[in-house]
Amino acid sequence: MALPKKIKKYLPLTESKTLLPRRREIRDMIEEDGTFLPKSLLHADLDRGFLDFVRDQLTCVVEGKTIPMIDILITTQNWAQFTETWDFQNIDKNTEPPFITVIRNPEVKYGNNPAIVYNIPNRRLYTYAQVPTWDGNRNGYDIYKIPQPVPIDLSYSVAIICNRMREVNKFNQIIMEKFASLQAYQTIKGHYIPIKNTGMSDESVMDLEKRKYYIQKYEFTLCGFLIDEDQFEVSPAITRAFQIFETDTKYKKGKKKKVIPPEPAIIEFTIPVGQTSFEELFNYTLNLNFTSTENVESYQVYLNGDYYGQDLDKLEITTNDTVLIEVAKLDDSKIGKVLYTQELI
Amino acid sequence: MTNRVPITRLGKFFGENDFSLEVSMGQEWLGGDMNFTCVLYKVDRIKTKTDDVYGETVEDGIKFLPPVEFNAYVGIAAPENKNVGSTKNAQLEPGNITISVYLKTLEDLNIDIDFGDYIGYYDSEDFVRYYTVVNDGRVISDIKHTYKGYKPFYRTIIASPVGPNEFKAL
Repeated sequence: MALPKKIKKYLPLTESKTLLPRRREIRDMIEEDGTFLPKSLLHADLDRGFLDFVRDQLTCVVEGKTIPMIDILITTQNWAQFTETWDFQNIDKNTEPPFITVIRNPEVKYGNNPAIVYNIPNRRLYTYAQVPTWDGNRNGYDIYKIPQPVPIDLSYSVAIICNRMREVNKFNQIIMEKFASLQAYQTIKGHYIPIKNTGMSDESVMDLEKRKYYIQKYEFTLCGFLIDEDQFEVSPAITRAFQIFETDTKYKKGKKKKVIPPEPAIIEFTIPVGQTSFEELFNYTLNLNFTSTENVESYQVYLNGDYYGQDLDKLEITTNDTVLIEVAKLDDSKIGKVLYTQELI
Repeated sequence: MTNRVPITRLGKFFGENDFSLEVSMGQEWLGGDMNFTCVLYKVDRIKTKTDDVYGETVEDGIKFLPPVEFNAYVGIAAPENKNVGSTKNAQLEPGNITISVYLKTLEDLNIDIDFGDYIGYYDSEDFVRYYTVVNDGRVISDIKHTYKGYKPFYRTIIASPVGPNEFKAL
């Protein structure tokens, strides 16, 4: 019967950290990969990552005992084998079944990981991060550039050597379950690397007059890539300068500027050809001071229809007054003008 | 009860008495002079618990009858230096042991050697190597195993070395 959702299936054996210990924990977590650049990833790192994958994720326990694994890739130096197998060797110094060993095929081919295989040719550098900097005086940015990673495929064989079918079955079950979704993943130096199971073979020794044991080999392809930190480039970018100017604090009285009064605006009464008067409504209060006339012999002024005077030097006008000017032109075939300067009140 | 038919081959020159004499002289040479001693650990097929499907035992699960010492002519093949399958795990694999034992010896000790029985052979005072019988030599009709064609008188048993993971006489 399924458990109710609110019931915990497992109780944590250690309490979660809080306050200062938690902050220290977070700091340690950040500092673990505490760089703005990705970690370098080369062949040896990928090999170590695959060995860790086999050791940690393909752990095979039969009858309460973990089947030991040779935790190195055996190379041309035979003595290295002993360093990893001494605790499960027999009196002949031979590795005693059951055990698991990993073989890496020496050839490394160009990878077929579609995520990174089709891309721009040549190994130019690409901006990876913009990192703020502070040297004590200036804020700025550094540009971190890395080349495009090179995809590679590494082929491994994981072999189990054992005497009992139960051990063969258990190891097979672990691998089948782990790779039920075609591929499994291993985090190698912060990179997420897929591993595919590409097949298996049997090399069991079943000769009648020889020691019999099972050897089953599982083939894996690790779809990795190469990143070499020696090819990374860090270059400075924008820098913001904080500038301070020192000035003389002594007060000096400057010369008072001469105020130049603005030119008064000129209002122009234009009397068209064939007419002798001009009327205008004023919406504001002002005084008009006579300036000049053009083609006008004399003129008479009417304010709100009432006669106001002739050839006046000054007119005092209030809001909504209507001014009518009648002129006697010198030449009736030309326009006449009466010019005043206006002074708003 | 089985029918017993007297062997009359080579009757003018050789007979049962001669055969018994030769065998007893050979036993005297092998036991008295050579004294190659092996120990038979015969698997107790009743007490040994096995898996229902594969017939395998768990580690240290093999039970055996009381060990029996017997004299035999022993030959051990040279070890073979090789990798385990196609892995790069090198090892010096011990060679098989070939045991030639008189039928009379087996009869006197009331023992038989079958496929899968274990045989211990002391390489030195403090080291015994165990072997499992891979050829119990039960078929002895060939001329080689007869005394000049008169009748068979010994068996050749071949056994392969086993590791402590399979058998360690405990």
